Amino acid sequence: MSSRARWRGLSRIVTEAIEHGSRAIEEVQKEGAARPFAVLEAIPALSLPASLVHGAHDAAVSGTHTAIRAVNQAVGVALDLLLRE
Amino acid sequence: MARGLDRALSILNGALGQHLARTRNPLATEMALFDAGAALPLERAALSRAHPAASARAVVLVHGLMGNERDWRFSDGSDYGQRLATDLHLTPLYVRYNSGLAIAESGAQLSQLLERLVEVYPRPLEELILVGHSMGGLVIRSACHAASLAQAGWLPLVKRAFYVATPHLGAPLERVGRVVTRVLSAIDDPYTRLIAQVAELRSDGIKDLGDGLRDARHPVPLLPQIAHYLIAGSLVEDPYLAALFGDAMVSVRSATAGALADRTLVVPGVGHTTLARHPAVYAQLRTWLAQAP
Repeated sequence: MSSRARWRGLSRIVTEAIEHGSRAIEEVQKEGAARPFAVLEAIPALSLPASLVHGAHDAAVSGTHTAIRAVNQAVGVALDLLLRE
Repeated sequence: MARGLDRALSILNGALGQHLARTRNPLATEMALFDAGAALPLERAALSRAHPAASARAVVLVHGLMGNERDWRFSDGSDYGQRLATDLHLTPLYVRYNSGLAIAESGAQLSQLLERLVEVYPRPLEELILVGHSMGGLVIRSACHAASLAQAGWLPLVKRAFYVATPHLGAPLERVGRVVTRVLSAIDDPYTRLIAQVAELRSDGIKDLGDGLRDARHPVPLLPQIAHYLIAGSLVEDPYLAALFGDAMVSVRSATAGALADRTLVVPGVGHTTLARHPAVYAQLRTWLAQAP
């Protein structure tokens, strides 16, 4: 196995680890936040603002992780192309 | 440097081998014979160059989980294969493979490799001796099983198989890991589930070690036409504790299951990995192999 092939393999593994790790952490962050939000959303007076904040929180978490994954994939593709040359 | 890299790749293959193979990652190890740290092409010319005085009796050594052919090496650089070449004029051949694949998959690949080996070996083979350490023993059993179903031409050449620290009845550590993963998955908490998901990433090869080859759905019997020799290690003297804990990875009961008493060796005070390069194990191998099959 050539040195370049090894580096390509390694870059793929790192890219996949970041991809899967980001998805898993996103899920954990959303699920972790869902519990206190569920308590607040059960209180009639707080239900509407709590659900709005909950939605904003989840959107921010998803946006951050989507950005991480997009950059990660771009770097992964660039590295793969570079190491193929 | 190269040795460290090889070691790292072997560990990576053992841990995530099926993922590497599925995603066609260049780091996935392809099963091959290895000689002096490099893959040996399965061609007559390459085998003749590597073994100019090839014997009609070859010994094939198959390493265990996360290992490679260097696992067999003593501190002086020799190994069971080299010593058998010197003492009994056997030709040693070392298999390297992706130990993260399911054992049945590795077994099928080994069967194909041996079929090709018999075709291109520099001279007609009279005997093919198989030696497996840990998972390597299960891969050998699986290869023999696959070969018996396919009536492969290499199988009649195998008269003796040696299993060193092989978990025929499974390895308790993997079974514990399986239970812990199930418990963590069942807890309604995102953090424990995340830990369970990470644990679940372990390779198919590791998961297969939990049950050895006693899965009732896929029986892989010890073939009756082959003489099976089983070698176990025991870190403790107490026979009851030894039966349970054995060499720390494989219990004596699991490593010696199904063997006749005169074809079993239990080496006291030796751990799992050391059994692949231990003078007492070699001495017994040599004694058994010096006898006619």
